[in-house]
Amino acid sequence: MSKEDPVTAEARRETGSGTDLWSVIISPSIWALHFLVCYVSAAIYCQKLGRDAPLSDIRLLVIAVTVIALVGIFWSSVRLWRVHDRSLTDDDFEYEHNTPEERHRFLSHVALMLCVLSAVAVIYVTIPMLYLESCR
Amino acid sequence: MQQGQRRSFLVYRFVPLVCVPVLAGCVSEQSMLHPAGEDAAAIANLFWVMAAGTVVIWLIVMGITVYAVLGKKRPKTERFADRFILVGGVAFPTITLAALLIFGLALLPDWVRSHRPDLRVHITAEQYWWRVAYEMPDGSLINTANELHLPASQTAEFVLTSTDVIHSFWIPNLGGKMDVIPGRTNLWRLKPTDTGVYRGVCAEFCGPSHALMAFPVVVHEPAGFETWLAGEAADVEEREGHALFVSAGCGACHAVRGTSADGAIGPDLTHFAGRRTMAAGTLPITADGLQSWLIDPSHHKPDVRMPAYASLEATERDALIAYLLDLK
Repeated sequence: MSKEDPVTAEARRETGSGTDLWSVIISPSIWALHFLVCYVSAAIYCQKLGRDAPLSDIRLLVIAVTVIALVGIFWSSVRLWRVHDRSLTDDDFEYEHNTPEERHRFLSHVALMLCVLSAVAVIYVTIPMLYLESCR
Repeated sequence: MQQGQRRSFLVYRFVPLVCVPVLAGCVSEQSMLHPAGEDAAAIANLFWVMAAGTVVIWLIVMGITVYAVLGKKRPKTERFADRFILVGGVAFPTITLAALLIFGLALLPDWVRSHRPDLRVHITAEQYWWRVAYEMPDGSLINTANELHLPASQTAEFVLTSTDVIHSFWIPNLGGKMDVIPGRTNLWRLKPTDTGVYRGVCAEFCGPSHALMAFPVVVHEPAGFETWLAGEAADVEEREGHALFVSAGCGACHAVRGTSADGAIGPDLTHFAGRRTMAAGTLPITADGLQSWLIDPSHHKPDVRMPAYASLEATERDALIAYLLDLK
């Protein structure tokens, strides 16, 4: 991390007082949708084609959905990063006080952490699909 | 508690309680750590990799803990603390778990049903024994019970079902376990690699005698297996003791192929004396064991469905035992 003047650095942060809950739940929602699309489509596919059916077609769908989900989470993260700026951890990021600005910061911080969690979860949901060969 | 009492509690209760399960792992006939099959080898490999990794991580965590308690009390920056938690508490577990997930998934069996196995065995789990039927090339089934014979380096498929409660079919030396569920047919494949005698068990609690629902597993060379199967498929002729076997009521539940005894409620007894154990791994096959079993089966195996034959004349019981021990 650069040793820039804390005041300048603070000024670069996006300020705001919004408590838009969508920004908090957008990435977990993407995770939930991704999970449902993967499992529901694989279940229908395997129900229609039988236990020995190869998973190649559905694998492409899952990979495509995963790419879309990760792009969505990344977009959400970039938006939140503008509030957070310098470091993924909160070492120089004040949000413990009862002001609208710090409430906004707190929610943004939580939302950013949820983005990381959702991205990891989406990847974990996808990994088995890369290894399974058939519907069995 | 008095000092002496406490010591005797430690010596007679606690120490065996801790040691017995640990030492039980040293016996190789029912051990995941002595693999004799392809799946078991992969599972044992996974275990050793995980065990080694766990030891390394444990030592690191303990090292950090000791350092935190005993080390020099130099204040760390908040930034260092945050980074430390992010790397050690988030990044490292995420990557480690992903690696384990990939390693574990790579071990999943990749067989599909269209590839025919070398041998198919139908297994029906019942409280508390195993009905075993070998599928012959012509599709007919050879019934036997409570003992499994398999050819080495050939893939055996097990068609698993249950008539009462959920059981689980597990031969630790050969591979993983598979649930046996009433109203459902589960398929499971194993490929033994080493000949020998192993022990299979029921691995899902199924009632008071759950722990007495085991079966010896004999892995032969392929030629030896064919010889065994031919012998097992052969009927036996009605011989001395058969009339008593039927009149005492045994034949109503037990079948002896080739005779008029064709009961299908209990285990098939056609080649009973050729087996290694009786009552699903509960007792060795000896005259004394049979005597004791016939007098009070539920003493040896709680909740067993077989009635006691204590009311039989001692001479009749001896004759029955002689007949059973002759069913080679």
